[in-house]
Amino acid sequence: MQLAFFYFFSGLSILSALFVIFFRNTLSAAIALVVTLFGVACLFGLLEAHFLAAMQVLVYAGAVMVLFLFVIMLMNLGREELLKIKLAFLGIIGVITGVCLAILLVTRFMGLSAPLLSLDLGVEYGTVKSVGKLLFGEYLIPFELTSILLLVAIIGAITLARKPQS
Amino acid sequence: MKQDLIYFLPELIVSITVLFLFLLDCFIGKRSRRIFPVIAFIGIAAMMLANKSSSPLPSARFFSDMMVFDHVSVLFKYIFGLAGLIAIVIANGSHELEKVDKANYFTLLTALVLGMMLLANAHHFLMIYLSLEMVSLLSYILTGSLQGSRRSSEASLKYVIYGGVASGIMAYGISILYGLTGSMTLTGVAEFLRMNAVSKTALYTSVLMIMAGFGFKVASVPFHMWCPDVYEGAPTPFTAFLSVGPKAAGFAVLLRFFFGALSQTTTSGIEPIKIIGLPALLGGLSIATMTLGNLAALQQKSMKRLLAYSSIAHAGYMLLALVALNAEAVTGVIFYLSVYLLMNLGAFLVLIIVGDQLGSEDISVFQGLSKRGPFAALLSIVMTVFMFSLTGIPPMAGFIGKFYLFGSVIKSGHYTLAVIGMLNSVVSLYYYIRVVKIMYFDEPVDGRNLTTPMVSHASTVFALALLTIYLGLFWNGLANIVGQAKLF
Amino acid sequence: MILLSHYIVVSAILFSIGVIGVLCRRNALVIFMSVEIMLNAANLAFIAFAREHGGMEGQTIAFFVMALAAAEVAVGLGIIMAVFKKQGTIDLAKINFLKG
Repeated sequence: MQLAFFYFFSGLSILSALFVIFFRNTLSAAIALVVTLFGVACLFGLLEAHFLAAMQVLVYAGAVMVLFLFVIMLMNLGREELLKIKLAFLGIIGVITGVCLAILLVTRFMGLSAPLLSLDLGVEYGTVKSVGKLLFGEYLIPFELTSILLLVAIIGAITLARKPQS
Repeated sequence: MKQDLIYFLPELIVSITVLFLFLLDCFIGKRSRRIFPVIAFIGIAAMMLANKSSSPLPSARFFSDMMVFDHVSVLFKYIFGLAGLIAIVIANGSHELEKVDKANYFTLLTALVLGMMLLANAHHFLMIYLSLEMVSLLSYILTGSLQGSRRSSEASLKYVIYGGVASGIMAYGISILYGLTGSMTLTGVAEFLRMNAVSKTALYTSVLMIMAGFGFKVASVPFHMWCPDVYEGAPTPFTAFLSVGPKAAGFAVLLRFFFGALSQTTTSGIEPIKIIGLPALLGGLSIATMTLGNLAALQQKSMKRLLAYSSIAHAGYMLLALVALNAEAVTGVIFYLSVYLLMNLGAFLVLIIVGDQLGSEDISVFQGLSKRGPFAALLSIVMTVFMFSLTGIPPMAGFIGKFYLFGSVIKSGHYTLAVIGMLNSVVSLYYYIRVVKIMYFDEPVDGRNLTTPMVSHASTVFALALLTIYLGLFWNGLANIVGQAKLF
Repeated sequence: MILLSHYIVVSAILFSIGVIGVLCRRNALVIFMSVEIMLNAANLAFIAFAREHGGMEGQTIAFFVMALAAAEVAVGLGIIMAVFKKQGTIDLAKINFLKG
């Protein structure tokens, strides 16, 4: 059962990721990206990272993708703007790099075939409680610094998007 | 308790300054914007003072091993502080930044200094990723801060795209390393690698991918492509800072990564781990970086692009010292970074003074600079000092810096690499000296004389030149301080 | 039986798709989306490895990577908007004001 879910969601996310990079229309690419992110969120769920799965949907599908869609609509890109894929020189290099990397990683990690369910994780694994304990314990300082970083990013984004002063 | 706080005081001071400046922005009207650089300056100066009180303390790790405070991080904080102070002085009163919102510019610049300090202290891969991202995000924003300018926004677009890709690759590299070792602290990774055998290919892949993030920060091949465009498009006062500050931070984290995670202490001192050929990797990277930087710099017409390629070449020299991976390498890199800070900021400041008045940033504005009045004659001497120092000609500080760098390489037995490094210095002589040549032997294209710029700019540029000469003659003091620096 | 390598293979494929997207496409927005795919691949690997090691560390790091990605997108889209306002295009092949 789990295996079926795994194949379905990983197939879904890989297929829609391919759509992201091959759709000529930016809006369709963005929608395909939402599907990819959803598929990855489901994979998180299969790995018992329930909190992360929820965050993935909330942060990415909820916030990040809305930003993307906003920008796409604001730009109102005409049909001709929607890009020609240059499958020339760069494209070939890209495909080769990607395939090599995939092969390298696949051959390497096929060796790691310990069954995932061998570990007894306990009931708290992946819950909000256990992530929260780490966030406000061991990872407190990165957590606090992230708040400064987000503040700075907001101010910076506003600075950039604001109209120039006369 | 009180003792522990002293370690973290510099970061605390800068964070408080940043937040205070943000708050102040809400309450202060357009008239009194001049107060922002002053407060930022005071904040960073206070950080350096606090840093002084924490320097005699022994190394320590805090926040569940997230950060490490040692002599090297103290030295780096001095470098960042000095770069920040000079950047504030340069930016304050530059014509180019007149239309930029001063409040935001100086607040974000201070936050950038904070990010670099965190990077120098990072001991956990999450902290490395987080602070690297902080430095990057702020650099993108400040690069694009010239709102009316097409070049500035284009530069920041290129920067953010290359940076996003580099950080994505780095995140993946870190995840592989996590999978291999199960540990995310630098010393934890080293410990695991010492005790256990891991797959060579996987470790090599992950190190290469993590190097993408660091290489992007220090502008080493193959992640240097953003560098000339961003340097050219960014406002020159920020370019000056970009060429020393984030680069120094990148080297701080490189030192930590290689000495913390990828080497081990043996009876004969620190040695790189044997499982992957680190010296070959770093040697190749550094030769490619310095050669490409120097050859590309030969054909530049814009002074900013020339300095961009020269900064790539200098990153190559410093990577060369990392090949040695011995105690001398740490000394060499930190000494060179401090010297590089002085001479590169100096060269940029001369460019800003000349460019502001003559309205161009091409090398041709330097034509006949020495004949444009008494101040210009003085400025030409100063520029000559910086150019000679960047080449590495005695008695300038740059020579001593290169001496230490190549010394560490020779001591580790990589003679070929040292020779290639010196040959590269000879190539760089050509384009640095060309600037000096056109200043003295060409005639100015028009009869405009250079007027004296504002006092802060003039005094800073002369102070930097004097320091460059001073460190070239009496380098012992600095070398002793740097030489005693202990990593971890 | 699902093995760890299953997940790693999926994440490697996703990462490669991201890399290909970055190299092949010239639209700044799509490049950004490809970077998001790369970061997601890294997150998937982090969480799979966390499951393998039986610790929560990987999940916490993935959480931070998500937050940072959101910040990067905010800044990046701001920059893209600024460029679009001035140049009327986000095609990187046409944005070539800066050249050596």
